[in-house]
Order: sequence, then structure tokens, then C-alpha cells
Amino acid sequence: MAGITTHVLDADRGRPAPGVRIDFSAFENGAWRLVKSVVTNADGRTDKPILPGDEAKVGQYQLEFHIDAYLRGKPGISEADIFVDNPVVRFAIFDAKQHYHVPMLCTPGNCATYRGS
Amino acid sequence: MDHPSDRHALTRRSLVGAGLGGVAAAAATSAAFAQGTPPANAPAQPGALTTAPVSQAGLGPRLTMHAIDQFHGTPGAGMICDLSMHDGSGYKPIKTVTTAPNGRTAEPILVDDAVKVGRYELLMHFEEYFAKIGVKLPSPNFLGLVPIRFQIRDAGQRYHLPVLFTPWGYSYYRGS
Repeated sequence: MAGITTHVLDADRGRPAPGVRIDFSAFENGAWRLVKSVVTNADGRTDKPILPGDEAKVGQYQLEFHIDAYLRGKPGISEADIFVDNPVVRFAIFDAKQHYHVPMLCTPGNCATYRGS
Repeated sequence: MDHPSDRHALTRRSLVGAGLGGVAAAAATSAAFAQGTPPANAPAQPGALTTAPVSQAGLGPRLTMHAIDQFHGTPGAGMICDLSMHDGSGYKPIKTVTTAPNGRTAEPILVDDAVKVGRYELLMHFEEYFAKIGVKLPSPNFLGLVPIRFQIRDAGQRYHLPVLFTPWGYSYYRGS
């Protein structure tokens, strides 16, 4: 399997983060172009790959996670606690045959990402 | 006396002694470490995390950072970072800083009146950093120019931004 997938985890509560909007963009002709916006499901994943394998091309891509909207309204979290609001992960597909799983672990004051599998 | 801390001290003594070439000096180093205070003449281990704890308590508003290379277990020295702030339509550059050998910037990135409420981005030049120290990576690398986005919500507070990174991932948080 190739392409791009993600998984958003609420590391504050130790559970998936459902309902998080993710803006997926590609770098084309010197500018970022919004390709699509998706929303995480109950498992914190997207129902379909963000980028299907047969559409994967070498290039620069970006995922913007709208964590602030997710965190707002969660019990015990005030607006002032949100230090990491909308983390953006920019990464390259350097080999279109490989799979790029890019998870996002978030709390109000912290985020982490990595190339997963 | 066979106490766990003594065994630890012996281990450290033998390891440090190899580097210093003197048991007496090594013992002094070991004793100082045991008290939590490195001696003034502690050997700088090339590439090791030699930064002593830095307390920012009582200081005025400022934005500081600390780049930690978790691939090598060292400070992220010589990392180029472009700071910009969102003006409503996009991120506008404020300044470019480069981290010192301890992974921090020589001066706070922002201090006192320069600390303003807003949305910020610190664009860190990961790919160039790893290329400079000879790490072989794909081209383009998975992580090249990495945007670290955060908000300053109170211009009267200190904001410390540690960034822990490898060529394949990173995390950052509001430190202190």
C-alpha cells in the first residue's frame, strides 16, 4: 500500500480524536494548493486514505490539523491552555511506491508527529 | 556499604576516568555530579548534552527555544529557524535565528515588548541541519522545512519552546 494516511490521537486523554478537520495540501508550481479537507472518524482516522496510492507522486505535501476546534469545549480545557492550535506537518513523498503514515498526537500544550507505518 | 548510588558512582567514575585519564579528577567529577552540580572544569564531551539546568524563574516576558537532536542525543546546534507571525492574511517574517552549540539561541528570540499576542510559526531547517552533519537521508527528505506553529496568548508570560527532533519525526511543547 502506498499513499498518505493519518491518525489523530488525543494524547491528553489517551484516545482517538474524532471530528478533527484536516486540510491536505500539495506544493505545486511554487505554491501550496488545498487538495481536500477531511474529518477524522470515531477511530481518529479518515475513512479513506488522504492520498490514494495510485495518485501518489514525489513531492511536498502538508497536513494541517485543526486541533484547536477539537479541544475547545472539552471539559477542563480553557482557551488559554491551547498553545499548539493548528499544527501543520510538511513532509515529502520521496518514493511514490512507499506508504506514508503521518500520525498526529496532540494535547493543548504539545504535539508530536513521525513517519509511522 | 553496597548502595545503588555507590554502584552508579563507580560506573560513572570508570567511564569518565577513561576520558579524563586521571582517577582523582574523575572522582571529583563524580562527586560533583552526585551533588547535582557539574564542576566548573567539567570536560565538554563533544556532542553530548552538556547544558546545565537553566532557570528562567523571575524573568520578564520572552520567547526562548531549545532544539534537541534525538537522533544523536545532542543539542541541535546550528539549526536555522525563521520566526514569523500571522497578520490575518498570512505568516510574515520577523527574524531568522541560528541555534548555538547548546541548542538554544544566544539571546531570547523575543523579549519584553517584542512579545506580542498572536499566532507564530518557527520554520526549522531540518534537512539542512542533517545534511551539514553528514546524515545520509532520502532526497528530498521526509522532513525538510518544518513549521512549528504555536500561539502566544499572554504577552506578559515567558514562553519556552523545546523542539525534539529526528529526521523522521518531532515533537514540541510549551516548556518552562
